[in-house]
Amino acid sequence: MAKIVACYKWVLDEADIKINSDSSVDMSKAKGKISDYDRNAIEAAVKLAEVTKDKPVGLTFGSSKAKQSLKDALSRGLEEAFWVKAEEAETADGAVTARALAAGVKAMGDVSLVICAEGASDTYARQTAPRIGALLDLPVVTSIAQISIEGNTVTAVRKLDDCMETVRFDMPAVIAVLPEAFQPTIPGLKAVMAAGKKPVTEYNPGDLGVDLAARRQVAEVKAYAQERRNEIIEGEDAATKVAGLVASLKKEGVL
Amino acid sequence: MAGVFVYSDKSVIALELISCVKAAGREAMVIAFSQEAAGELKNSGADKVYLLQGESQLPENYALAVANFLKDQSAELFLVGATARGRDLAARVAGYLDCGMVSDASAIAFGDGKVTTERMIYGGAITQKEVLAGFCVVTFAAGKFTPIEGASEIETVNVTADNRVALVEQAPIIRKGADLGVADRVVCVGLGVENEQDMQMIRDLAAALNAELGCTRGIAEEKHWLPTEQYIGISGAVIKPQLCLSIGISGQVQHTIGIRDSKVIVAINNNEKAPIFKTSDFGIVGDLYEIVPLLTEALKK
Repeated sequence: MAKIVACYKWVLDEADIKINSDSSVDMSKAKGKISDYDRNAIEAAVKLAEVTKDKPVGLTFGSSKAKQSLKDALSRGLEEAFWVKAEEAETADGAVTARALAAGVKAMGDVSLVICAEGASDTYARQTAPRIGALLDLPVVTSIAQISIEGNTVTAVRKLDDCMETVRFDMPAVIAVLPEAFQPTIPGLKAVMAAGKKPVTEYNPGDLGVDLAARRQVAEVKAYAQERRNEIIEGEDAATKVAGLVASLKKEGVL
Repeated sequence: MAGVFVYSDKSVIALELISCVKAAGREAMVIAFSQEAAGELKNSGADKVYLLQGESQLPENYALAVANFLKDQSAELFLVGATARGRDLAARVAGYLDCGMVSDASAIAFGDGKVTTERMIYGGAITQKEVLAGFCVVTFAAGKFTPIEGASEIETVNVTADNRVALVEQAPIIRKGADLGVADRVVCVGLGVENEQDMQMIRDLAAALNAELGCTRGIAEEKHWLPTEQYIGISGAVIKPQLCLSIGISGQVQHTIGIRDSKVIVAINNNEKAPIFKTSDFGIVGDLYEIVPLLTEALKK
């Protein structure tokens, strides 16, 4: 049975990022999560596998911290998870990530479709699907808003900057789906329980021949500086506050 | 030094990128896939226009051809306009050449055999500076450079397209609502609104303010109270009005990246600790159900 592979990333939750007063960034308290849009990609794999009668599986490239992601991913309807494990994943660039994922796809054998989200919620670089497609020399289609499969042929509607574009291609292929294409469902208790019993395969990137050297160096990471007045309009009741706001906006010349 | 190769499926962006490269004192070559696009670039100030001619209408289908072409030309950088097509083509070229790539750079500096870029991560909360050595790919947003002029020679190169993806049809996106990107005033609503019928109260405020209505992703994609085109944020619309009035929005970075080019931001939220107040000029801590009707009345006067 061929596999439909949902690629996902275990990322730090941006809601937990602390910005220090010197604009440095503190991620030490940040918890992990499956990147928001990757949940849509997982849903896409599950739903499309129902159509093609393939097996929906998950694939992640992550450090030891990504272990927590496996049960979460499997509770979302995937039948098996594959994990290319390397501590270097935490500092990987788009080149390394794509090499690792492409090697994972190759290692798992018969694959009909590789599905990524457009971008991850941390870096949102939107490189992964096109890069994997290039490394495996498979057809690539990104920005997919709608998709249907008949036999071996996929018809997809892409949402581009100013047009909707319908394209057709045969599997195997690599695709990137927009969040609106598939809405993730919240896993029920039964699905969460069952997830613990599903198979997980761990890959060592060395065994797969993956080059873990990044092609770029990070020189600096700092908080985006936003100069705002941060003025809270005080007042003894709501009406006074509203009057104060209207006066301030008039003074600014925006009313 | 073999120069920088520029591409965008939007010629106006290609013109800007050529200007960016020439301002840095580098040689700029620009790639086009059609006679029409090459024509639009013939007075761009580029050192040369390369018309890569093949049998596909889809620029993305030339990814391998472009990768091979850039290698043959010993290009030092492939600089691409950050559109949906541009990002796709650029990342595939980076994949074929297994090189470094920076997506959606907001700044770029050319050094000796190196390129330094800046981009935003974590939804715009953080900026990251990166250094790339050797051949690399960078996608760059529009609107930062003014095009220059200067006649450019057009050279045609025959290439082979990858026709495994076939175009069926294209239809322009017809926007139902107003174009939020050019609106002067925007009222933006989030999940602080409890019921769909309460949206009328927000619409009344927008009408009194003569503002367009925008929302967070939750309102559009979870509640479906407004069309997807109206949500503002990292994967939605980016606005730059004179006034952005944010109502019942906590202010997660994914959303605020879409409003931060506004001249004045006002936040109304009942939680004084909501991050939205940190990205606002003026704030009212209070119940939106009390504040909004009062504000609508005050604005009508």
